Amino acid sequence: MDFTISEELQSVQQLAQQILGDFTEVDKLKAIEAQDTRFDPALWQALAEAGLLGVDIDEANGGMGLGFFALGMLCEEVGRTVAPVPVVPVLAGAAGTLRRFGNDTQREQWLPGIAAGSALVTCALEEYHNDDPTRPAATAQAVEGGYTLSGSKICVDAATHSARILLSAQAEDGLVVALVDPRAAGVALNPQVVTSGETRHELVMDQVQVGAEDILATGREALEAMDWAQQATRTALCAMALGLCDKMMRITGQYTSEREQFGRAIATFQAVSHRVADCYIDVECLRLVTQQAASLLDQGRPAQDAVSMAKIWCGDVAHRVSQAAQHCHGGTGVDRDYILWRYCLMARQIELSAGNSARLTGELGQAIAREYLAAAPA
Amino acid sequence: MNIELTPEQKALQQEVREYMKTVMTPELLQEMKDDELKEGGGPEFRKQYARMGADGWIGLSWSKELGGKEMSHLEQYIFTDEVVRSGFAYPFLTTEAVTPVIAANANDEVREEVVGGVKQGKVVIAIGYSEPSAGTDLASLKTKAVQDGDHWIINGQKMWTSLANYADYVWLAARTDPDESKKHKGLTMFLVPTDYEGFSVTPVHTLGVRTNATYYNDIRLPDKYRVGEVNAGWKLITGQLNIERLSLFTHGQVDSLYVDTCQWAAQTDAPGGGKLIEQPWVQHNLARVKSGLEVVKLICWKQAWAMDQGPLDMADASTAKVYSSEFFVELYRLLLEVLGGAGAIAAHSPGAALKGRIEFRWRVGSILTFGGGTNEIQRDIIAMAGLWMPRTR
Repeated sequence: MDFTISEELQSVQQLAQQILGDFTEVDKLKAIEAQDTRFDPALWQALAEAGLLGVDIDEANGGMGLGFFALGMLCEEVGRTVAPVPVVPVLAGAAGTLRRFGNDTQREQWLPGIAAGSALVTCALEEYHNDDPTRPAATAQAVEGGYTLSGSKICVDAATHSARILLSAQAEDGLVVALVDPRAAGVALNPQVVTSGETRHELVMDQVQVGAEDILATGREALEAMDWAQQATRTALCAMALGLCDKMMRITGQYTSEREQFGRAIATFQAVSHRVADCYIDVECLRLVTQQAASLLDQGRPAQDAVSMAKIWCGDVAHRVSQAAQHCHGGTGVDRDYILWRYCLMARQIELSAGNSARLTGELGQAIAREYLAAAPA
Repeated sequence: MNIELTPEQKALQQEVREYMKTVMTPELLQEMKDDELKEGGGPEFRKQYARMGADGWIGLSWSKELGGKEMSHLEQYIFTDEVVRSGFAYPFLTTEAVTPVIAANANDEVREEVVGGVKQGKVVIAIGYSEPSAGTDLASLKTKAVQDGDHWIINGQKMWTSLANYADYVWLAARTDPDESKKHKGLTMFLVPTDYEGFSVTPVHTLGVRTNATYYNDIRLPDKYRVGEVNAGWKLITGQLNIERLSLFTHGQVDSLYVDTCQWAAQTDAPGGGKLIEQPWVQHNLARVKSGLEVVKLICWKQAWAMDQGPLDMADASTAKVYSSEFFVELYRLLLEVLGGAGAIAAHSPGAALKGRIEFRWRVGSILTFGGGTNEIQRDIIAMAGLWMPRTR
């Protein structure tokens, strides 16, 4: 039992804070947001040069090999600064899955480039009405030398910048995890503007040929890979939401301490200060469940329930803290010239991504029923 | 970062869990059916409390000098969690909150008498802080102690003096500076033996358990029963609040209610066929309880771990109190909904689901959000200490 963050991880965190802070001044964010996609290549390169893109990539593949918990901390800092970098789909969803399920050739081909910032591999886990990548509607048909993939994925982040997109499709004899080249014949990327204001992409595959070298896993191993990708993505999103919510809460604490009405700071009204105190409690709860999930994934231990609970908390806390922050700011909170809106919209995006609170609560309830029905005397 | 109990800590947890099964004898369970004795005080309670003392279970966290084992706060929490889970009315405030303060501040004779007695499981101490007009604003208390040679003359009334109907002493906060405007700077701590002339108790029946009003009528108390310096009582009161809270909101006591409800729902037929636990609304409630309980577990572990690292962060301590107290109440509600109409049947009435345990806990639970420091004050502390916001007025 030890809640200590090691000195090594603390220095990683400080380094991330410093770089992310430098690149997320409001003017820089506005310039990035004027582009087609919300991605800052210069910041990505700076993170690569500091070694931060490789925190969860083996040293043999050009990374630091610090593990998934360290990656969670990086995601938290990205959240704290609403930085325009796709750390969750690229580093947790794609690189993390490649590290654990790719063969030697695939790892050597992609991981050093991801760590160095020279190549991007993203992942696409969601489809219309389906956020479970172990049961995709997309199909795969075995052909000579690989598979032919058809179907759609939605809200893919960093799709136009990526050399490959990691995704799953259903073959007759089981699941297939493939690395799809977005420039391959039969692939269409259609822009989708999402609530955070970012442009993401619908990925439509029509008879796309994927060679054997780009097949990551099939059958049981593919199920494990997609389970891992989903759990890692959810946990990384929780970590990012933790950073977002912690920052929103602190912005609100500061704003209400300075904003005066009726001749006094509005923070001196209990009705206001208690709403912010509730955010503090919520953020601490989210921190605890996120750290637990990240720590279990880091150690390669079963984390299914811990991850589901973390994402349930993530959705609830993101919603409550975001609403409280907006409310306590009054009109200032919705002004695009003030900093808060980016946090609120990104929090909503995360809440709705990769399994929301209602769906995961239902799933957790089913798991509880299975557990106790199995144990009940006949 | 590794948020799990070590094998040694798990072994301790198991050892305490097994031991407490031997403490909860059929005789004790029978005795506790009497509402007057639910919170301890009956002969079988006395017998088992003394046995825990003889078996070396009392005062695990105390210094070796006092006969303790100097266990860490985390180990102490594991012990507390299991004892509360068992349902034994172990007097935590006596053993964990008050006795270490008495050991550090009382004179030798009283230390031997009281600390030695607690160690053997023979002494229980009630807390005499609150008064009819001094609750959250404790420093406005009016009970007076006036020095008369080597004695003190004590007069006043205390409220919510739980356990005073069978306790051996009251740990009493009294005003020793007649100037009431001095508030917390004019308070001194005393131990009042409950067999002294001038002490009396009347019962107060609450929604759950019996508590008491206690009266102090010209009690002549020898100076040896004063603990700490005159007018320096406040820090003896406030220094123990976090330890007190860590024994109030433990995981095991509510986790066991969750587990029992899940088992019950998996064995109980649903009206349309199948088992109750197959109903989506039941699963929804159970999942919400499980997600909330997970944080109770983590927040308790983190508090106990943090206390071993140094002084507890004020905002974190208040966060744990507010979250746990409000979640406990929510948990009772969610589990009672699963039990349905039978959930409202009280213990010992025919048809009571799970022996009426949750029904009872829900009734007692209404004190949680204000007891142990009301949640409004805790939120004030969080805003100030955690977020550097200005004091509210």
